[in-house]
Amino acid sequence: MASSAVFIQNKKTPLLLYAASALIILFLFFFLLLPVGVILIKALQDEEGQFTLQYFSLIWQNESYLLAIANSFKLAAMTTISCLAISFPLALINSRFSYPGKKIFSVLLLAPLVLPPFVAAVGINKLFAKFGAVNLMLQEIGIISEMIDWMHSDNLFAVVVLLETIHLFPILYLNIMAAIANIDPSLEEAASILGASRLKRFRDIIWYLARPGIFAGASIVFVFAFTDLGTPLLTGWTDNVAVKIFDLVTSAASNPMGYALVILVLAVVATSFVTSRFLYARTSYPTLAKGHVQKIEEKASSATKMIFVLANIILLTLALAPHLSVLIASFSEKWFMTILPTEIGLNHYRDIWQEPISIIGIKNSLALSVVATLIDMVLGFGIAFIVTRKLLPFSNFLDGLVMLPLAIPGIVLAFGYVVCYTDTFLDPLNNPTFLLIVAYSIRRLPFMVRAASAGLSQLSLSLEEASYTLGASKSLTIYKISLPLTFANILAGAIFCFAFTMLDVSDSLILAMKDRFYPLTKAIYALYLEQGRGENLACALGSIGMLILALALSLVSIILGKKMGELFRG
Amino acid sequence: MQIDFENVSKHYGSFQAISNFSLHIKSASLHFLLGPSGCGKTTLIRLLAGLEDASSGRLLFGGQDATAIPPAARGVGMVFQNYALWPHMSCQENIEYGLNLRKISREEKNQKVSEVLKLTHLEECRRKYPGQLSGGQQQRVALARALAIEPKILLLDEPLSNLDAKLRSEMREYLLEIHAKTQITTIYVTHDQREALSMGTEVSVLNRGQLLQTGTPKELYHEPTSLFLAKFIGETNLIDGFIDKTASDGMIVKTTLGNINTPRNETLAKIGQPVTLSIRPEAIAVSLKEKNSDELNILPAQITNTVFFGDMEQLTAKIGKEGQLKVHRCYTGASEMPLGAAITCFLPKAQIRVFAQEGAT
Repeated sequence: MASSAVFIQNKKTPLLLYAASALIILFLFFFLLLPVGVILIKALQDEEGQFTLQYFSLIWQNESYLLAIANSFKLAAMTTISCLAISFPLALINSRFSYPGKKIFSVLLLAPLVLPPFVAAVGINKLFAKFGAVNLMLQEIGIISEMIDWMHSDNLFAVVVLLETIHLFPILYLNIMAAIANIDPSLEEAASILGASRLKRFRDIIWYLARPGIFAGASIVFVFAFTDLGTPLLTGWTDNVAVKIFDLVTSAASNPMGYALVILVLAVVATSFVTSRFLYARTSYPTLAKGHVQKIEEKASSATKMIFVLANIILLTLALAPHLSVLIASFSEKWFMTILPTEIGLNHYRDIWQEPISIIGIKNSLALSVVATLIDMVLGFGIAFIVTRKLLPFSNFLDGLVMLPLAIPGIVLAFGYVVCYTDTFLDPLNNPTFLLIVAYSIRRLPFMVRAASAGLSQLSLSLEEASYTLGASKSLTIYKISLPLTFANILAGAIFCFAFTMLDVSDSLILAMKDRFYPLTKAIYALYLEQGRGENLACALGSIGMLILALALSLVSIILGKKMGELFRG
Repeated sequence: MQIDFENVSKHYGSFQAISNFSLHIKSASLHFLLGPSGCGKTTLIRLLAGLEDASSGRLLFGGQDATAIPPAARGVGMVFQNYALWPHMSCQENIEYGLNLRKISREEKNQKVSEVLKLTHLEECRRKYPGQLSGGQQQRVALARALAIEPKILLLDEPLSNLDAKLRSEMREYLLEIHAKTQITTIYVTHDQREALSMGTEVSVLNRGQLLQTGTPKELYHEPTSLFLAKFIGETNLIDGFIDKTASDGMIVKTTLGNINTPRNETLAKIGQPVTLSIRPEAIAVSLKEKNSDELNILPAQITNTVFFGDMEQLTAKIGKEGQLKVHRCYTGASEMPLGAAITCFLPKAQIRVFAQEGAT
């Protein structure tokens, strides 16, 4: 039987394939394993090259670092808990009940995930400023008489938790939805027939069987919140590990504390994923009768439906308010002491083109993202083909290797590049272009490989074999059959890569050190730090970023929405 | 073109898919490879196409060693079980694909495409895409694509398994017609014994990667060489026992049904040898009259179940305390055999096959 599990091992594996794989592995070695390895070695070596743990004990003795570590843990834990508090009930409602607008809400709920939290941080400053929209609105309603200093340093932690939560809750939501969708409704029905109440059914069945999905999603949220650099940086909450690492980049050569902090981050990431795996294995049960899981939607009463709709609207308003505020600010000509701007126009968008740094940012990001995406397309398809068709004896190793960037946070990789390649011909201080392209492409490579693999695994092997039997070579078969039939997946993957690269934060902030190399996000950051009109320009530039993202994602949904066959029909 | 497998083996890691397989397939024949799922028949066809390499042994096409020839150079046409039609190409583009790879003139190409379209009755589907065709049409496009390159060997991998019963029977006749016209050596893989018995001139039966028997459908049905074959092809009654007496012209086997006189099996003719007897349900004669006879192979019985199939009737006949036989008889309505009726079963000696019991040495 022709299945993807069958090797096509006819004739010898061409030398070219080994050469190409060797190049891919070398590429990943130099720009993924080596930078992390060098940090690890430096963190465990003293000036004489002897093994030491002194840097870790120095962290322990330094109150500022201890505070940063404790804060990062607190941030990650609080974010995970609040994401769970939102996502679990939401997933439960959306998987079990039908109510008006459910489809639209389900799509909109994913918007905060793709909208950059970095831009949201700019928006939240506008909303919660002392004389910002929130205070003015509360005063107008009569709830407060004196302005509250929301953005006071004491409140910044809560603000960052809020921003991380609205950005990350969709990840948990998606995981829990998937877990609940896999629970056969007949399991609940069986309990119901035996007399179990809704609460008991939830406690004994849904909660138990959905736990693996919760653990998987929670570990991702925890790690993202722990390692996010952009949000705390722009909010001004600096006492955390990610910002400390960012601050230590410039003094990486002279101050070994950065290495130790990066290793700590890696240890947290690894522990988090291992724990999640362990909990997943402990709590997942093999489904006995895995047949067709039919979805049964319950009809809710009118009042309940109303509550569901309202809950969705409130959640979406909260989640999208910061981004909306950025958008409004970008059009505001006059916005002072009023809830909404009193004058609007396109001045900020016009000013962007007169501000060299914003033009540089847009140009650089476009160029870098296009090149990185092209690299990802070629590498991603190549690796996916080797892996799905098991062309090499070490195909699985290659698969594991390209997935590693998912577990290595952006700040770690960027820090590693600075450490590894400073004072070499790739020194990011002189010109970070090459390293930026490499960092962008490596960090998005797993997504591209997954996208191409999905297409290739769905493609029956016999479609390629039919071509071989008719006399076509492997390369011609790839060109004529495999590529056109997986093109929709590759294109969708490429658009994702492009969009997320355009709005990459950690690599861009750390690696681009001189104005003329600034990508879009670093340009937004630089403008934001400028006094006066800088903030509004940052909002306009952020809105352009969101527009690019929105266009890209619409394109993906259009492409993926069409069935593969229809896409190629005249 | 004649095909020879010479001691071909194929393993995937520790799994032995084909072991020591040898077979000669005559030129221009329509040869069936029949066996249950996982018996290795698809592996054999993939070895012929060059999609798999043999772990050992040789494959000869027309007497020439073809083991190392890559698939592209074998000149083999193949119809895949799922047809493997390229959804992004029209029927014509699918069919032309192989011709485009052979440097031939445009006129010649067009002529060949028209010929196969006519042969497969697909002229009207020329510009359609696979997704716009019915199952039967898709099957014919796959066949047309394989035939267009004028292959020396045509491989059909369960080509009818995705069609409904009616279409399947139409396509059987159609495939026979195409084979008669083209006279291409054709290897047809199937797990459907009806398909193999009704269409094949020669059938090879496989199990667990080994060739069990090659022969005409009638030989396989009436002269199975193993217990597996007797069970796999058609229905049969299996009766366990051991040899009680042997003579030059037969043997007496002691069974739960009583002593049964069977033809002599040279390799098993040993007193005390555990054996299994096989007799087809339609080979057993029944009559309503109860006959108390000491004659061998005449057994008094009682009908415990009847199943009506239209053209025939299946009776379950209880013999003694534990024995039971299935009997098929042509149903004409002339003599009814009601439930509970006492009957006599006659087991013709010549129709009984004797095999070693499974697990017995």
